[in-house]
Amino acid sequence: MSRVATLDSAELEGRRLASSIAMTVVLVSFSMLFASLFLGYAYYRITSPVWPPMGMSKVDLYFPTLSTFAILLSSLSFVIFKTKYLGGGSAKKTLPWLGLTIFLGLGFMFTQFSLWADLSGKGFYASSGVFQSLVYAFTWIHAAHIVMAILALVWLVPTTLKNECTITEENKVNNIGKFWHFLGVIWLLMYFIIFVI
Amino acid sequence: MAFYEQHIHPKPTTFISKYIFSFDHKVIGKQFLWYGILGLGLGGIMALMIRWALAFPGEAFPLIGQFMFPETGGVIPPDTYAMLFTMHGTIMIFYAITPILIGAFGNFCIPLMIGARDMAFPLMNMLSFHLAVLSAALLVISLFVPLGAAASGWTAYPTLSTLIGSPGTGQTFWAVAIFVLGISSTMGAINYITTVITLRAPGMGYFDMPLTVWGLWLTAILNAIFLPVLGAGGLLLVFDRVFGTQFFLAGAAATSGTGDPVLFQHVFWIFGHPEVYILILPAWGMVSDILSFFSRKPAFGAKATALSMTSITILSTLVYGHHMYTTQLSPLLTQTFMTLTMTISIPSAIFFANWLGTLWKGSIRFDTPMLFSLGVVFVFGLGGLTGLYLGTVTTDLYLHDTYFVVGHFHYTMAASVLFGSFAAIYFWMPKMFGKMLNETWGKIHFWLTMLGLNGVFFGMLFIGYAGMHRRLYDPFVYEFLQHLVPINTFITWSAILMGLTQIIFVVNFVHAVFWGKDETDPNPWKVGTLEWTIPSPAPNYNFDKIPVVKCGPHELGNPNLTTGRDFQYQTEELVEA
Ligand code: HEM
Ligand SMILES: [Cu+2]
Repeated sequence: MSRVATLDSAELEGRRLASSIAMTVVLVSFSMLFASLFLGYAYYRITSPVWPPMGMSKVDLYFPTLSTFAILLSSLSFVIFKTKYLGGGSAKKTLPWLGLTIFLGLGFMFTQFSLWADLSGKGFYASSGVFQSLVYAFTWIHAAHIVMAILALVWLVPTTLKNECTITEENKVNNIGKFWHFLGVIWLLMYFIIFVI
Repeated sequence: MAFYEQHIHPKPTTFISKYIFSFDHKVIGKQFLWYGILGLGLGGIMALMIRWALAFPGEAFPLIGQFMFPETGGVIPPDTYAMLFTMHGTIMIFYAITPILIGAFGNFCIPLMIGARDMAFPLMNMLSFHLAVLSAALLVISLFVPLGAAASGWTAYPTLSTLIGSPGTGQTFWAVAIFVLGISSTMGAINYITTVITLRAPGMGYFDMPLTVWGLWLTAILNAIFLPVLGAGGLLLVFDRVFGTQFFLAGAAATSGTGDPVLFQHVFWIFGHPEVYILILPAWGMVSDILSFFSRKPAFGAKATALSMTSITILSTLVYGHHMYTTQLSPLLTQTFMTLTMTISIPSAIFFANWLGTLWKGSIRFDTPMLFSLGVVFVFGLGGLTGLYLGTVTTDLYLHDTYFVVGHFHYTMAASVLFGSFAAIYFWMPKMFGKMLNETWGKIHFWLTMLGLNGVFFGMLFIGYAGMHRRLYDPFVYEFLQHLVPINTFITWSAILMGLTQIIFVVNFVHAVFWGKDETDPNPWKVGTLEWTIPSPAPNYNFDKIPVVKCGPHELGNPNLTTGRDFQYQTEELVEA
């Protein structure tokens, strides 16, 4: 591809800026989605004298903690991937780190499914009460985003193999990375707010 | 600034690539325009059916009633009535006004007025329209499912909208359709925001942007921030309906371990109040420009207008509680929301005064776009004043959920935004399609619409003040409302007048687009913003050579001009007045 040749440097700079502005707006939008959910959580929590309400029990932290490790490590591995990729590393050097990120992402999904199976095994259903509803709705919505993000990570595999990093690829890697870290941060918030405290 | 030049791709040639999978912001704008006009038609027919039921209860709806409701002999049944006002509101807000003002004119005007060749992300722009079509399809399907369409009002309050209130799938389809539309509009918003920041022509600072672009840009910002809030509410509603979660079931977490319907109202209005400004801001922007263009003098205090629109945008995020005065909010909260609501009057008054200042001593040309813009000044003035009665807790306790509220939001939202849309259509028609709409018919359209519209909405303020509640199937079963039958009949006749008048517009529009004479003058209104420097209809990629901006958008009526024109283009060096 001879993309680089046809772009002047102003357009390069412009597209980099446009891409990062757009991604910022995207993240603001997604933050508002999750912020609304947290608002709902706060609303129920504040209006209830005991939490969880009505003698419901808290969620066992085993699986949520595993999820936390998976997603934190995956973010770390993505950072390594990105540094190597943008530093001009060859596919041989970068692909394993991307692979590890995807693997850890899948691991996160695995722990989520285990969590859901574990919960319903204990008779903790979405319809049992508002606390259960919150736990499920948060994890479902977050997991749906994770699935999208994993697909986006997989989409990076051919990009990496192409062994050529123009502004298009650079923007792609940066943006998908931001989205992935964003989901990690949201998970951390969920972990502490919903499961721990 | 961050300006960069987009490179030019060859013109699409096949029908499909030109009109269906088009990346061109102008084509996408036109797609949204047709989409919105269809929505207006559908929502309008529903409005007439609602009005029919209120003026002539128990009588068969003319013409189509017999086919639609054979089991009642053509009379609109109560459950259908609830579906009608729900779908009317939903369609008008999300599928008519939003696509016309934001979808059509947002797409069409932003790149042209800032001197760009297209949006920053043309592909995303196209997908945004396709998602909007998908969403409309879902909504149309919802009309035909068993038990009928959603019937819980455009606000979809639980418990009306939970499985208990609406057992049919119509409500679920409604929520999913709105969710998809939210994604579509958010994608549009991302595009608009980025485009305005990065693609302004060299030399164009923020205050050199036409106020139209300001309005559209602020709208996009509100959209990007608050549509996801509605999305969250809609998702939880769908979860409640489909997966059995308990968010909005009656009861309270404290006593029964179940959810609380009022939470939905909070979430809805955190989105909903900004939403009303999402709709009005583009209209304000366009009107501010058009008033100046047709008064042949600079917009009075344009910078102040832009800044007050910005402060309204910010304040609009803090006042949503005024929709919930009757939900047992603590007095501390209601007082706070009341004070914040009243604060909005300050910037509103500033830009309203600026509008009048623009008109003052202007040499006004009463072309159709100007008539509609003056119409906005009038109806928005009225609507804004009624807002003060509703924003005051004490009066709202009485007026809440009456037709006064319906009158208020139709004046502010329906009337102002509709007039703004018409002004925009008449004004940009030559640049969009290369044709002019017929002026005489345009003026007739305006005056008849103005007449019918005020009959309808002023009547609503009256009956609301007299205590008639909104959303009642047959209010006249209550003795204290029976004396309101004549005025309701008057409203309905006004609505019929207004509805029939729109046929004039549709004929005028369709005729002009398909059979109209080509407008040869690229600048028929004689104004200086960038879109009028290029041929009509705007060519592929708009600007052959990206313009360099040297002055603001409203340089009209300067006596020192030596060019023989009374205005200057934004590409010309500013002549001191
Ligand atoms: C001038 C400042 C305004 C004030 C003080 C104001 C105040 C209010 C208040 C207090 C209500 C709630 C009434 C009730 O339900 O009891 C209300 C309803 C409403 N307003 Fe406004 N408003 C203003 C401007 C606008 C504008 C500019 C728009 C739209 C473009 C708008 C659209 C609406 C809508 C759609 C509703 C009712 C929605 C519903 O309940 O279905 N308002 N307004
Ligand atoms: Cu409001």
